[in-house]
Amino acid sequence: MQNKKLTVAIAGNPNSGKTTIFNAFTGAKQNVGNYPGVTVEKKEGTKIYKDYQVNLVDLPGTYSLAANSVEEVVARDYLILEKPDVVINVIDSGNFERNLYLTTQIMELNVPMVLALNMADIAEKQGFTFDIAKISKFFNANVVLTIGSKGSGLNELLDAVIDKANNPGNIDSANLINYGDDIEKELDKLSSVVNKDHTLAQKYGRRWIALKLLEHDEDILSKEHNIEVLEAAHESASKLDKLFGDRPDVVIAEKRYGFISGVHEQAVKHTAQRHHDISDTIDTFLLNRAIGLPIFFLMMYLVFKLVFWAGDPLMGLIESGFGILSTGISNIIPDGHLKSLIVDGIIGGVGGVIVFLPNIVLLFLAISMLEDSGYMARAAFLMDRIMKKIGLHGRSFIPMVIGFGCTVPAIMGTRILEDKKSRFATILILPLMSCGARLPIYSLIIPAFFPVQWRGFVMWLMYVIGIILAVILAAILRRTILKGQSGIFLMELPPYRMPTLRGLSIHVSNRSWLYLKKAGTVILWISIALWAATVYPKPSAESLEGLTAEQVQQAELEYSIVGRIGKTMEPVIKPMGFDYKIGTALLGALAAKEVFVAQMGIVFSVGETDEESDTLRDKLKNNYNPLQGFCIMLFCLISAPCMATLAVCRRETNWKWAIFQFVGLTVIAFGLTTLVFQVGTALNIGT
Amino acid sequence: MTKNIQLSASLEDYLETIYLIVADKGAARAKDIADRLNVKAGSVTGALQALTKMKLINYAPYELISITPEGQEKALEIIRKHETLSDFFENILGVNSDIAEKGACEMEHAVPDEIIDRIILFSEFIQACPKCGKNWVDRFQSYTQKLHLSSSESCQTCLEDTANRHKKEIAKMTDETEPQTLLDIKPGNKCIVQRVKRGSSASKRLAEMGISRGTVIEVERVAPLGDPIEIKVKGYHLSIRKNEAVNIIVEQQ
Repeated sequence: MQNKKLTVAIAGNPNSGKTTIFNAFTGAKQNVGNYPGVTVEKKEGTKIYKDYQVNLVDLPGTYSLAANSVEEVVARDYLILEKPDVVINVIDSGNFERNLYLTTQIMELNVPMVLALNMADIAEKQGFTFDIAKISKFFNANVVLTIGSKGSGLNELLDAVIDKANNPGNIDSANLINYGDDIEKELDKLSSVVNKDHTLAQKYGRRWIALKLLEHDEDILSKEHNIEVLEAAHESASKLDKLFGDRPDVVIAEKRYGFISGVHEQAVKHTAQRHHDISDTIDTFLLNRAIGLPIFFLMMYLVFKLVFWAGDPLMGLIESGFGILSTGISNIIPDGHLKSLIVDGIIGGVGGVIVFLPNIVLLFLAISMLEDSGYMARAAFLMDRIMKKIGLHGRSFIPMVIGFGCTVPAIMGTRILEDKKSRFATILILPLMSCGARLPIYSLIIPAFFPVQWRGFVMWLMYVIGIILAVILAAILRRTILKGQSGIFLMELPPYRMPTLRGLSIHVSNRSWLYLKKAGTVILWISIALWAATVYPKPSAESLEGLTAEQVQQAELEYSIVGRIGKTMEPVIKPMGFDYKIGTALLGALAAKEVFVAQMGIVFSVGETDEESDTLRDKLKNNYNPLQGFCIMLFCLISAPCMATLAVCRRETNWKWAIFQFVGLTVIAFGLTTLVFQVGTALNIGT
Repeated sequence: MTKNIQLSASLEDYLETIYLIVADKGAARAKDIADRLNVKAGSVTGALQALTKMKLINYAPYELISITPEGQEKALEIIRKHETLSDFFENILGVNSDIAEKGACEMEHAVPDEIIDRIILFSEFIQACPKCGKNWVDRFQSYTQKLHLSSSESCQTCLEDTANRHKKEIAKMTDETEPQTLLDIKPGNKCIVQRVKRGSSASKRLAEMGISRGTVIEVERVAPLGDPIEIKVKGYHLSIRKNEAVNIIVEQQ
């Protein structure tokens, strides 16, 4: 049977439960990509329902469809240009009025709409009852009560979507909101001028253009317009400005809320006296003046504890799994190049990276839990004062926490910052947040050089050094090349919610899959290439005559491409206490930080003759001192971010900033590491 | 220049009348003037000739009379004196308006500019100075009727009243210069938004989030480090920095 196709966009405020509904429909089968030209995440999925194939698009969560941020423009352009058959507007029923602000704007876009009054159970507990028929009439939309987290009302929602798609009714709903005689008069006047402008008028509708012109919408203003239209818009706007004593966009927003409170009054009953809900009670502790911050730091500590304590046994399992695999393959394949490639190159390289998967999974699990529960916004609230001091936003804190997972999504996450300069400053310092790929380096080095009781502290220290450096650099940037007023800091503190298992697992599996995919593709190829460069060319047999096994290994490595490059750069990295072997690994780390571990594995295993080889950590311990170990971590923390970060930084800013970041961080890393090594050596610390 | 011209009382009356007629009808005729001042047409001609000689009006026999810029200035000065005096008589001294008008008509020609200026300043002072105030004039009115001061006892109550009134006025004055903002509301209290200061780029964003004239805001708490603050608006919680909150003018509920 041929399914009928429907394209359905899901729009809504942040925290409205939009993504929960999207996840409930599509399950794990999601297609995550980007909107063309921008890095706003575009999630798509398909749901087969009755004889329909419903293609769902999860639009970015926004409070408005003005052009305040890229997300808003993306959501708006999608609704206007892609013309989905139906848009589902997900509403947090417990926060009815604020959520409906977006609804009034979607309504004006002439797209058939279905309203999902989500979290209906919570709203009911709070004593709200909704007159569905009336709301439906006000917005010319089908209205359905849903509970996204429990999956209830979702079939009804799809029925409503199909019904709306087949009977869109009179979708010329633009006149539903009356902005009052004065504004309407100017709208009429402007509409008639806009009329001449065919392309825009056809795309957006005349009245809508007129409205956006009055609202001084940058995006629409920048679209092609003749002077006549712009002048008329300016004249109307200043006339209204004088009349109302306020900017027209503010007055128009007020009128929309006026319409909404009309809806609220007529269609919503509030029976129970609202008592302090659980969320408020939790906040009296978590945001408490005295214990709020201690709890926050405890929370962060627990996250790390979870990631490393729970992760370590699992890592051990994977490690021994690869060990067994290596031995097995060694027994099957005869000695030679192929065996070396598989055991040293592929398993040594890729395996060394995959070992850290448990840590990555747990870290993303912790971040998702903080985010989905609503605590992340509280963290931003608690930290804003400090962030403001260094010229950033409390909200910059969220990308910084994500930066502990991976810098790439963190940089993409800076989109929530509306102010360009503080956004750029945040992007530039984000690589200093020890990302998931630094973790394998720390996990390799720390146990090799530091006694058990110090390991936790050193690990903590690495993260703290990154944070402190980030703070200093941000403060400097915001006072020099990125000077300027920060934009407004308005942040919703959503009610606390229990994170859903489905939401967590989808988020974590998406992220972990990306990590594995990277290990399987980029890192696999780099490992093979680095292996080849480490093994070839081989010195002639006679030059190795009479040497011990260890000396042979040494000579072979020095003769190889990697050895030669490493030797060439040795004088430069020597002040930091690095030899050419570390140098080669650092080169590899440019591609991806975790390659450092892989390359160290290759460098130290190639040419091994005895079966019972020491672990990589033991070899490191025998070759370097703890100060050098610390310097390795320090340099890897600060120096040039990986290629993926460079690429995403360029895409979010431009080449100039990306190169500035790359070079600047490397220079700082070189200076600081040299300083630490020289001072440490002079004072005989850790040597 | 006009200052130097000394006019007789009757010529001042003529000039004043001509000004009023011109303002009323655009131009004046000798007959209108005679009617208004209740004199014979013949005596008007002499006065007109005198005023023409002083270049205060333009006049030729059988033509319409208009007033020169100098004449206009002089006329306004006379009218100002007249109004100041009648005002003073009626509002401060409490004389009934007919008598005040009559007294002003007669005195306006005789009183020197300096005294008129002082009377104006004095009237302004009585009304503006918080120490005197409207109340002071009222008390004077009752004194004119009873012709004696209140007993010493009520003098004390009077002083206490005055002190109280002054306190209120001081409070009002500071209130007016610095209106209450969201920042002044202590956690746990509610307020209503009067307006959001213009020019703050944030005003649109605030309006979109539902904060505009008439919105009820409840201040929930201040962050542990002293900034930002958490507010509750339209049933949801919002974090706002202090330097934004100061732009929201409110009235405590």
